[in-house]
Amino acid sequence: MNKFLQIASSRRTWAWPYVLFMLLFVVLPLILVAVYAFTDIDGQFTLRNFTKFFTHSEAIQTFLYSVMIAVFNTLICLLIGYPAAYIMAMEDFRTPKVMAMLFILPMWINFLLRTVATVELFNMLGLPLGEGALLFGLCYDYLPFMIYPIYNTLQKMDTSLVEAAQDLGANKWQSFWKVIVPLSMPGVYSGIVMVFMPTVSTFAIAELLTHNNIKLFGSLIQDYITTTDLLNYGAVLSLVLLVIIGLTSFFGDNDAESAEKGGLV
Amino acid sequence: MRIDRFTERQKTATLKDKRLITISRYILVFILYSFSGAILAPASAQSNITYTLHVGTTGDVALLNDFPESYAGDKVNIKVQCTRYDVQRADSLDFVFANEGNDALRALGDSIYSYTDEQGVNWTVWQNKKEIKNRSKRVMIQNAYKTFEQYVRTNTAAAKRQTGWIWWVFAGLLLAGTAVYGGYIIYSRRKEKRLSHVEQEMLRRRRMGNRRHYGSQLYLWLLLLVLYAPIALIAVFSFTKSKILGNWTGFSFDLYVNLFSGRADAGLNSAIVYTLIIALVAAVCSTILGTLAAIGIYNMRARQRKAVSLLNSVPMINPDIITGISLFLLFVALGVSQGLATVCIAHVVFCTPYVVLSVLPRLSRMNPNTYEAALDLGATPAQALRMVMLPELWPGMLSGFILALTLSVDDFGVTFFTKGSGGLETLSTFIYSDARKGGLTPELRPLFTIILIVMLAVLIVVNIRAAREKDE
Repeated sequence: MNKFLQIASSRRTWAWPYVLFMLLFVVLPLILVAVYAFTDIDGQFTLRNFTKFFTHSEAIQTFLYSVMIAVFNTLICLLIGYPAAYIMAMEDFRTPKVMAMLFILPMWINFLLRTVATVELFNMLGLPLGEGALLFGLCYDYLPFMIYPIYNTLQKMDTSLVEAAQDLGANKWQSFWKVIVPLSMPGVYSGIVMVFMPTVSTFAIAELLTHNNIKLFGSLIQDYITTTDLLNYGAVLSLVLLVIIGLTSFFGDNDAESAEKGGLV
Repeated sequence: MRIDRFTERQKTATLKDKRLITISRYILVFILYSFSGAILAPASAQSNITYTLHVGTTGDVALLNDFPESYAGDKVNIKVQCTRYDVQRADSLDFVFANEGNDALRALGDSIYSYTDEQGVNWTVWQNKKEIKNRSKRVMIQNAYKTFEQYVRTNTAAAKRQTGWIWWVFAGLLLAGTAVYGGYIIYSRRKEKRLSHVEQEMLRRRRMGNRRHYGSQLYLWLLLLVLYAPIALIAVFSFTKSKILGNWTGFSFDLYVNLFSGRADAGLNSAIVYTLIIALVAAVCSTILGTLAAIGIYNMRARQRKAVSLLNSVPMINPDIITGISLFLLFVALGVSQGLATVCIAHVVFCTPYVVLSVLPRLSRMNPNTYEAALDLGATPAQALRMVMLPELWPGMLSGFILALTLSVDDFGVTFFTKGSGGLETLSTFIYSDARKGGLTPELRPLFTIILIVMLAVLIVVNIRAAREKDE
């Protein structure tokens, strides 16, 4: 009993249940993805799933197409979102908090419902559903994730640096490109990560926005993983996605989490 | 004296400028209102429903009894699409419901549907017995000969008559908005006039300093307009009882009444209940687990802390689909049957890291010695936790709890893979299966209008609290 008290009073041990929980439900499942990818349906080791992927032109094409869509979406979000974040951070608003809040609020409404509403809007305006609708819907869903991190870094930026640049003779464009943009790069990076990663792995939106005409990589994974006899092949596809995500988050370093945390409340 | 006169002249000049700006603002508001009216009114005059039968997707068989409920006279366009593997076919036909005759379609048999509606349109739908690549089934729709131009024309006219409502709504909104805005302008003018000369001059100088850029503000407002257009669509159409979004059939609170009296779709009701149960369980569990973990992490040595923090960030970096699939594989490997329990566990997995992150800052703000002092004074660890730590930590725990609630309610990806095939649906998955069937249960519209308002209220409260904390 005394020993138990001793253990309990050393607060370091209070994290143990959580660590165990995470090992069981986060680390082990991720390992299982790899295990399933390297085994066949009977649990025997095999590389056939991988060879199947590299010779399966539908999967490769879908994969490349999804990455392309994600890159385009990230670029569009950046092009639209950076000016918005810049204006929000720099302009003098009567109520800056409300403005920022208005931009987060859509994030809190179920994204499927927003997507369905977008589809309805397109139907109402008589616009065709397809690639354009897909890009619009994705951009609509993920734009706040681009605006927020950039807005956060711009707001925390020391404005006296800009004034210093102007005192030293820089004009507006020079001070923008040489001072503000480099200083906001951390926000831009985490914005890119936060838009690119969910877009490349998205799986329900594309079906709804294109009447099932365009299939993204996420939907492909979903199809295979929910089919019992193709589960191992689905695991290979998930592994490919995991590698992409690992690379992206390596590129974005640890900014994603801090930005996400700042962006949510 | 000269200086006085100079400032006087300047003041009248700026006043003139301001008047111009005010007038242009009125015009802008007017344009925005009529713009939105122009979008909504003609669109709601149509009553087209596009219904797509998805064939050869995950569900494989799309049945005609998946039709959304429909009103008499609604024009239905049916597309049949087969988009798997080498099969690419799309058939399309127009069809007008003669009555609310879905039941007639429903009553038909399994494999072959044939249906003659009251107008004499002959419907035959069959599934080919031959399977293509063992996976998809072909569904074809044939024999829709007649088009009912007269029928559609009368119905479109009826719909147009009904849209008179929406113009009244927009006219009312326009008047109300203009009145409020004008009142505000007059009020602030009055307030300004009561100021002394010096104060007015200071106000003017300050305004000159932070001149607003109207172009860039317009950009933000336009962006917000686009961002909110679909949401506004849902909110506006929650006040009409039409079963199809985009079809205005007059103002009514029926959907709200249905939602609260439990007369909505049974699937929706159970989805709401399950969503709430899962969110509460997940939020409570993750708040307890996360708070304990945060205390533990805070007291760890640097290297240990770094390792656990890395572990903590994994579920946040992982996209939904990976978290969902990996947990799905775990449950498959363990042979656990998936259902309510597995969804709850999965939600705790992705909620807890956020709780940890919202409790940690509170910990670094409190005095680390108070806990030890409590122990020295004879408290048990549980007592010290309850009486010393909790009062300091609860704001962080509360925001973590709220965050976990909203994350859980909002989640789709993880739930989708861990809900099993036992028919468990949360709101998100319910919307998904609903949308794939081609329609949206109408009671979802008032539900999400309410959620929108609640979210707005929560965000305002959280922000005010944060601002107050900052002031302190």
